[in-house]
Amino acid sequence: MIERSQKEVWKITPWIMVALLLGNFVLMAYDARQTETNQRVIRVWAQTVADFVQSPVTSITGAVTGYFRSISSLRTAQDENDAYKQRIQELEVEVQNAKSLKNENERLKSLLELKETSKYKILPAQIIGRDASAWFSTSIINRGSLDGVKLNMPVVTNGGLVGRVTAVSPLTAQIDLITKEKSGVGAVVGELETSNTLGVITGSGQRDLLEMGYVPGNVEVSVGETVFTTGQDGIYPPGLKLGEVIEVKAESATIPQLIVVRPSAGLSSMQEVAVLLYEPPPRPKYEETLPNAVKGDN
Amino acid sequence: MEQVKITIALVIAVILQWTLRNVAEPFAYIDFTLIIVVYAALQRSSIRALIYATVSGIAIDALSGGLLGSNGFSKTLVAFLVLELVRRVYLDNLLLQIPVLAGACLLDDLVYYGIHRMLGQTLDAPFVTTIAYTVIGTTVAGTITYIILDSFFSGKTPVRKRDVFTSKRQTRRRNPIRLGRRR
Repeated sequence: MIERSQKEVWKITPWIMVALLLGNFVLMAYDARQTETNQRVIRVWAQTVADFVQSPVTSITGAVTGYFRSISSLRTAQDENDAYKQRIQELEVEVQNAKSLKNENERLKSLLELKETSKYKILPAQIIGRDASAWFSTSIINRGSLDGVKLNMPVVTNGGLVGRVTAVSPLTAQIDLITKEKSGVGAVVGELETSNTLGVITGSGQRDLLEMGYVPGNVEVSVGETVFTTGQDGIYPPGLKLGEVIEVKAESATIPQLIVVRPSAGLSSMQEVAVLLYEPPPRPKYEETLPNAVKGDN
Repeated sequence: MEQVKITIALVIAVILQWTLRNVAEPFAYIDFTLIIVVYAALQRSSIRALIYATVSGIAIDALSGGLLGSNGFSKTLVAFLVLELVRRVYLDNLLLQIPVLAGACLLDDLVYYGIHRMLGQTLDAPFVTTIAYTVIGTTVAGTITYIILDSFFSGKTPVRKRDVFTSKRQTRRRNPIRLGRRR
């Protein structure tokens, strides 16, 4: 009796497998159609559920790591204490200088009637999870649509641009890093107003390097120059720091040169980030009617 | 009861997969869910192993930058192949289970990579390095997990050295004098 039912189970197993594979394939095909964002109902729900696990784990591990770090740092505390005493003396002199500079700055600002306003609102966030698969490098932050986060909002650190929001759940959001090969960021080498070295930054296939393409071969670019966003991609605001040029693969005047850029934001070790509550200006109508225009819900 | 325990192990595996990479990057190279799915398949619970594979795969995809269903697809296929292998070959020995897990991991990664390439997706990580690290990480973690699961969860007798390393089959020598006697 038991043997027979076991045989029956083995008989229907291939059919169940085929049904499950088909289900998964349909899901993949549906997901692959939308390339702009990762926003799907399953993702939103799973991220909401995962937040109840990821947030406590992140805080606990953070606390444990901090505790052990504080113990190890005690060993060097004495030496550091002496160094700090000396540094305090130096800093006091610097503070006096800074105070006078600040006063001078304020006077000049008032003369020019400039108002000190921050360009974009910033929402601090903590990274509570990283990609569950070894093949991708997305991250999960503890801010979601309830905090005002929307799709495609830029994510930064104090170092520079990190990426953009590609999926939002009520409590969390998923961010794609600029090192992703399919990310495209409009970039310029040097200051936007003065430089004409425009190009597109994409991932290089390596986790800590970016590539800047479409830069004409006759434009001079030197190692060490800083790369900023142009805002022409319709996602990122202009003027955000992207990184530093570390290599220039020069070509002839007719072939675009390839520039290797090291991201200024520490992408592999970041724990705290900030979401720029920035929404790009709406595209002109003629752009939306183009046959290859992306018609997302962003 | 055993199935409940494996289900609990699978839930823990999904949670570990969601959280551990944020603690330390090398954990990305351990596929905890695959370990449990292969374990379920090795226990010959055929339908459950397939469902575990699909559900856990989609749960991982939901928190990943990859295609939704790609992990579910690869894990379901791997679970089925392990089930077919288990039907034909006796794989209750841990030393035999280790290469099966390594092979399953390799196949899972190849299918996962192939699906993404087929559907025009680019992956962030280098192909050979990621596969090599994942096979090593998953096999090592899987071996430890299987010993733990065998010891604590299944209620079977703990895995002893004698069970792991198959000893030479011992047969009782028949008495040559009595061989000739027939009744």
